Amino acid sequence: MGTGGTQTKQRRWFVNSVVVVGAFILVANPLYLSSYGEGLMTRFLIFALFAMSYDIVFGYAGLLSLGHAAFFGAGGYTVALLKLHFGVDLFWISAPFGLLVAVLTAALFGIIALRASGIYFLLVTFALGQMLFSLAWNVKWLNSKGMQGITGITLPDLAIPGFTLDSTWYYYMVLIFFVISGMLLYRLVHSPYGLALMGIREDVSRMEAVGYNTWLYKYIAFVISGAFAGIAGILFTYYNFFVSPNHLGIATSFLPMVMTIMGGLGTLFGPVIGAAVFIFVENYASIFAPQRWPLILGGLFVISIMFARDGIGVYLWRLLNKVTQGYGSIKN
Amino acid sequence: MDWFVINLLNGMSYGMILFLIASGMSIVLGAMGITNLAHGAIYMVGAFVGWTVAVKWGAPFWVGVLSGGLSAGLVGLAIERGLLRRLYKKPNEQVLLTFGFVYILSNLCLWVWGGWPRMPFTAKFLTGSTEIMGRAFPKARLAIILAGFILAIALWWLQDKTRMGAIVRAGMDDKETAMGLGINLELTFAVIFFVSSFIAGAAGVIGAQLLGVRTDLGLEVLLLALIVIIVGGVGSIQGALLGGILIGVIDAFGRAVFPQLAMFTMYLTMIVILIVRPTGLLGRKI
Repeated sequence: MGTGGTQTKQRRWFVNSVVVVGAFILVANPLYLSSYGEGLMTRFLIFALFAMSYDIVFGYAGLLSLGHAAFFGAGGYTVALLKLHFGVDLFWISAPFGLLVAVLTAALFGIIALRASGIYFLLVTFALGQMLFSLAWNVKWLNSKGMQGITGITLPDLAIPGFTLDSTWYYYMVLIFFVISGMLLYRLVHSPYGLALMGIREDVSRMEAVGYNTWLYKYIAFVISGAFAGIAGILFTYYNFFVSPNHLGIATSFLPMVMTIMGGLGTLFGPVIGAAVFIFVENYASIFAPQRWPLILGGLFVISIMFARDGIGVYLWRLLNKVTQGYGSIKN
Repeated sequence: MDWFVINLLNGMSYGMILFLIASGMSIVLGAMGITNLAHGAIYMVGAFVGWTVAVKWGAPFWVGVLSGGLSAGLVGLAIERGLLRRLYKKPNEQVLLTFGFVYILSNLCLWVWGGWPRMPFTAKFLTGSTEIMGRAFPKARLAIILAGFILAIALWWLQDKTRMGAIVRAGMDDKETAMGLGINLELTFAVIFFVSSFIAGAAGVIGAQLLGVRTDLGLEVLLLALIVIIVGGVGSIQGALLGGILIGVIDAFGRAVFPQLAMFTMYLTMIVILIVRPTGLLGRKI
């Protein structure tokens, strides 16, 4: 970590160049990728956003939630239901509505789950997520006719005259959402609020003694994180054309957990790397060993907990930092 | 009246299975502070091994129960000794690790036993039904209620009347002091984890009658156990018993009265308990 002026400057230069190169690759992607590769990239961005939102509640607030997909699915289901029952596919109506439902769900679940602390919080979030899963499974209104889940979803209508969204433009749209959300989350975690949140994670009683309303800080983190999960869920539903009860339950809640743990907890950069690794492995597993995917996923998860506790993303970051620092010292 | 009694008995038998599942998980959680999310998956391993022994090989039912319990116990012991022990005092990592094993064990079971669900099975002398207030009631369910009560008494005795139980309770209250007094908590933890997994595996075979033997049991059973623990409270046999029976009976009457909202009554109970008493009905503070 830089203490001197030149080192800080170097570090900033390094961070900026990584961001610029990353941005360039993301923007240029559709030029050379097949439509399959483009779909994978869209998927990656959506899950990276989902994982970042999860890291707010787990990595920054220190609350281990097992029901984060509830908000992802709430957003997705709202968009799908508007299409199914009311024929609405105008983005400017569906998406805000989906976001609203996700935020309300998070606000309600937060009140229930944050009554409990520690281990109970985990149990309660899990059970609440599964409750939505069971609702979506059993209530007819929440399903397309004769099946589990809602089909017939299309890319949204943006109401721009003479323009229809295709998968390439949708990739850019997701990219824009990803970048804006990322920037907002970055601002959030570096704000006084974000720092207080980390303080609460490290030592609740001390923060309480200093006069912080720790419950409120955690609650706000929970709701904000639910909101961004909702955005990811909305984007995912348009991308996937289908939403099922699984997108509310533990099967989907597990995904951002894996990504965050693999990439690096308590950073925004880590979950993105984790999502990249996840999508990469998932893609190859689905080609070579689709039957063994859960085994590979579980194994990967266990290995990264046991042997790479800081996460691949954080490890990469340190490595790159070291390399540039070495480069800097030679230059000096 | 007979409607009431039959549903009550149905609920009791289901509740006893829930108790069998939740008791082990609750003890591990209370004594070691580990939320073992693989508990349901361990239950499933026991159920499959029990099926292989008792149905495929045609061994007596009690041999199936024992081998189911033993195999599940060994799986649990391997996870605890091999991995969990290295994550001592890192509760989040421990929880996440056990959750990874839900996926690993479920997929391994799918690999070994295949995806088709097995027919419910039970001991030969327990097949068929007996008459209660003019209605037929399966004997196996009565046996489950009996088995549950026997286990509850045995576990309660272990917890409150034996040296082992005293060590566990001491460990729950103050780990450092207990260790300072020369108690080997490492060994105690290993034993607790083995016993808890053993009970889960044996419950898998006994409960095959009600819950079946499937590869998606891992998560389903985990969810049931969590609800029971939330309602009953963590860390005591009494809590798991009360929570199990309460949830079982509420579920049975829920199914009878509002068949459409089957699972929902359980969640509703859970939420009400959380709002009224966040630590569960008979919970210890952790």
